[in-house]
Amino acid sequence: MSAVIALVIFPGGVCILLAGMLYEWFDRKLVARFQDRIGPRWFQPLADTVKLLAKEEVVPDGVNGQLFFVLPVIALAGAMTAALYVPVFGLAPSFSFSGDLIATIYMLSLLTLCMGLAGANTLNRFSLLGATRTLTQLFSYEAPFLLALLGPAIVAGSWRISAIADYAADHWLILTQPIGFAVALIGLMGKLELPPFDAPEAETEIVAGALTEYSGRGLALFHLGKGVELVVGLTLVAAFYLGGVANPLAFFVKTLVILLGLAGLQALFTRLRIEQTVGLWWRYGALLVLVQFLALIVWEGWVA
Amino acid sequence: MPAKGEKFIIPIGPQHPALKEPGHFEFSVDGEMVTSASLRLGYVHRGIEKGTEGRNWVQALYLLERICGICSHVHATAYCLGVERLAGVEAPPRAQAIRSLVGELERIHSHLLWLGVAAHEAGFDMLFMHSWRDREVVMNLLEGFTGNRVNYSANVLGGVKCDIDARQTDAIVKGLEYLEDRTHHYLEVVTSDIMFLRRTRGIGVMTKDVAEKLGVVGPTARASGVARDVRVNAPYAAYDRYPVKLITATAGDLEARFIVRVQELFETYRVIRAILADLPEGELTVRMPRRIKEGETISRVEAPRGELFYFIKSNGSDTAERVKVRTPTLPNMASVLTLAVGHQLADMPMILTGIDPCFSCNDRMIVVRDEAGQASAWTWDDLRQYGIETYR
Repeated sequence: MSAVIALVIFPGGVCILLAGMLYEWFDRKLVARFQDRIGPRWFQPLADTVKLLAKEEVVPDGVNGQLFFVLPVIALAGAMTAALYVPVFGLAPSFSFSGDLIATIYMLSLLTLCMGLAGANTLNRFSLLGATRTLTQLFSYEAPFLLALLGPAIVAGSWRISAIADYAADHWLILTQPIGFAVALIGLMGKLELPPFDAPEAETEIVAGALTEYSGRGLALFHLGKGVELVVGLTLVAAFYLGGVANPLAFFVKTLVILLGLAGLQALFTRLRIEQTVGLWWRYGALLVLVQFLALIVWEGWVA
Repeated sequence: MPAKGEKFIIPIGPQHPALKEPGHFEFSVDGEMVTSASLRLGYVHRGIEKGTEGRNWVQALYLLERICGICSHVHATAYCLGVERLAGVEAPPRAQAIRSLVGELERIHSHLLWLGVAAHEAGFDMLFMHSWRDREVVMNLLEGFTGNRVNYSANVLGGVKCDIDARQTDAIVKGLEYLEDRTHHYLEVVTSDIMFLRRTRGIGVMTKDVAEKLGVVGPTARASGVARDVRVNAPYAAYDRYPVKLITATAGDLEARFIVRVQELFETYRVIRAILADLPEGELTVRMPRRIKEGETISRVEAPRGELFYFIKSNGSDTAERVKVRTPTLPNMASVLTLAVGHQLADMPMILTGIDPCFSCNDRMIVVRDEAGQASAWTWDDLRQYGIETYR
């Protein structure tokens, strides 16, 4: 029974969806304030979702209808499943097994993969180009992001998220692995296609990128998935690098502080072209985090 | 996906988030690289030139002012100067100075608007929002001075409508102080923000030769080192009394277009201060005849986007026989197609915005002739019938 509640109501299910919308609002509001705008009201993401769900979903000609229908569902399901393995709201993860870190990261990538497929599924030229860019970007940030989250796993001696979080609760790993923290944070921005990594959905070039043909229900589900992924990603970074999220207060304070930083970065930068994104990750991000990762392995193997 | 050898064409427009007005671009791309570009204009043809022929000289002024929502004052200035020349009348010096004053205030708001739009195309919304916030300052000044935020109607045939008093002078001086401070900041941003420079430096380079060959005008030409500014080359209104310094750059890339426009803002502030410090006393208008004697003239002014050209012909009645307008977007548009090839698709919005296009200003009727040189024209009845059948 408690497993069902964890799945459907709390901390997964409804609560994680609401948290996703809340964090999306916070992000939008912060960026707006940085840009000297007023920004949306607190219930705006919820209102958008309700409105989109109430609208007709137009299935364009030339798509595989089943795929078109099922991709948003898989994307949202992936993100929500990932939420069950991380300490959201400062509680212990609902489910846990050895190596669940890898499974969680895979679940998070599922959203991006589904968006890529969704774009490639349609005949729309903006969607096709957006899908290409989405997948290109996936291949650039994914490896460094993974390495950045494996750093804490190496020092904690476990690939189980709850074990790493327990270890990190006594160690502020941002002090010993600053590169990992920065790469994880920026990798999260790349994952969520936030500016300056929003080339895949650059509206002045390719309208809405891979999701151009989505309307109504599909669009709402993809948006919800992104919100959930934002919460999960922030939780992971806060739990691993910022001294853990042992209680709800620590969870909200730490994740919102990170989100404040993310919003600042979003407001500060100009959009990168897709080849600039790839260059940035492989020339600097991947190399730096790899060097740190090797140093950690050497330290753990010989010194400690 | 296209078969081998087929082109993959990305259509931008007529409805597209990058375009604030309808135009249709087709970019063939190889991956992300643009291999050719084509353009179709004419979606917002409004028949204003024809419209002037059914109105008298005064009514046409207010119609022509609505050609452009951003640089409306220069249109009215060009028209007034032309008609006054035809009538053999000259507006008083104070009126000429106020014409230049409003023209320069309008240049501030146009350049700040462009700065925001261009930054938005690059995905730099911070600069977009901040420059538009600061643009409100000059909009408020214009509203306080003329009564309108856009389409100020400061001009009348034979002079200007509104006089400036000490209170407005103070407001303008104060507003300029704030704007100048902000403009220093913007100059710093567009010349030193590394992420932004990655999107502008070395992108869309147009050499001086190409710029001259394409007949490019305005800040776009000046960014390529072409010394071309009607305010300097052929001073009109009060620009001989308050000379303007020509701003040019040599790089010819997008960064240079940003720098030229931002530096022109400083020059504009200086000119406005000079006008306010040394405003001639006197009348605001002279009497204009209702019928303009027969003749034809051209009138050139420097719009924020470049040279604006008016041809006006009178047949001695109270109505213009022909008013022909060439807005600066038309000569600049060719440069977009030339520069597009070899750049990435992501640079297209920036290159297009680099010329500060204004589609509805430049849309004209085009007569297409077939190979035998025959043009087929539709009468009003044909058009009406076509409309009825199409939308039945």
